[in-house]
Amino acid sequence: MDFVILSLVMLAIGIYGLLTNRQLLKVFISIELIATAATLNFVMLASSMGQGLGQAFMILAFSTDTAVSAVILALLVIVSKKYGTSNISEILKTQEKTESEAEA
Amino acid sequence: MILEILSVGLLVSACLALFLDEVVYSVAALAGTFLFTALLYLVNGAVYAAIFQFAVGVGTLAVLFLSGEMLSDKSSKKTSPKKLGTLLGAGVILSVPAIFLSVSGSTGTYSSASFGDALWNLSGVDVILQALVILTVALGIAIILYERRSGEK
Repeated sequence: MDFVILSLVMLAIGIYGLLTNRQLLKVFISIELIATAATLNFVMLASSMGQGLGQAFMILAFSTDTAVSAVILALLVIVSKKYGTSNISEILKTQEKTESEAEA
Repeated sequence: MILEILSVGLLVSACLALFLDEVVYSVAALAGTFLFTALLYLVNGAVYAAIFQFAVGVGTLAVLFLSGEMLSDKSSKKTSPKKLGTLLGAGVILSVPAIFLSVSGSTGTYSSASFGDALWNLSGVDVILQALVILTVALGIAIILYERRSGEK
């Protein structure tokens, strides 16, 4: 059982989801998965070496991640309220349409 | 054996979280991902990390459920059983390299520090963390005020 490969696979799943999903919330879930993969690798390596430092760093990293998540979620709600959709392609289309109307 | 089962569950729930069509089910699968991660920490002896992962995960998921309900399109299509089976299979296949391959090198000697000592040594970082939390709160308030102001206009 190798946790380096496990977290690498999880990171790959997160990046693939980040690149392919067009829903804002799914993009957010992908970011959460990438962060979880990074902390998983860190904690598992540290605990296999018998160090408590990995857990301490994980707590700090996870606190930061949660704070960032709160801001991202607030922005997601505002953007989806403003454009009436949570699909990135539709948001971009609406934005381009608005810009072309403003120029004309 | 239990580590292998947990790693399969972790990757399957990660696949489901990303590729299920219903947002609320995706968030439920993400809850599974957090739970399996916490159990992996617990089995590997990182008890504090497991408790923290579980506690923070519950809070994040509560907010995600709410925003998932707000943002989800009510007329969205449902996941077909075929797609569900494909996702489960993909999760199991992806966990095979982690179970059977190894990239870890030889283990050297490391100075071990307890969790309490490590946390005490990192107490300086706590100041930065508190500043970050205050900054986040300020940013959140600014976003809410901006939205109200644009709503009034």
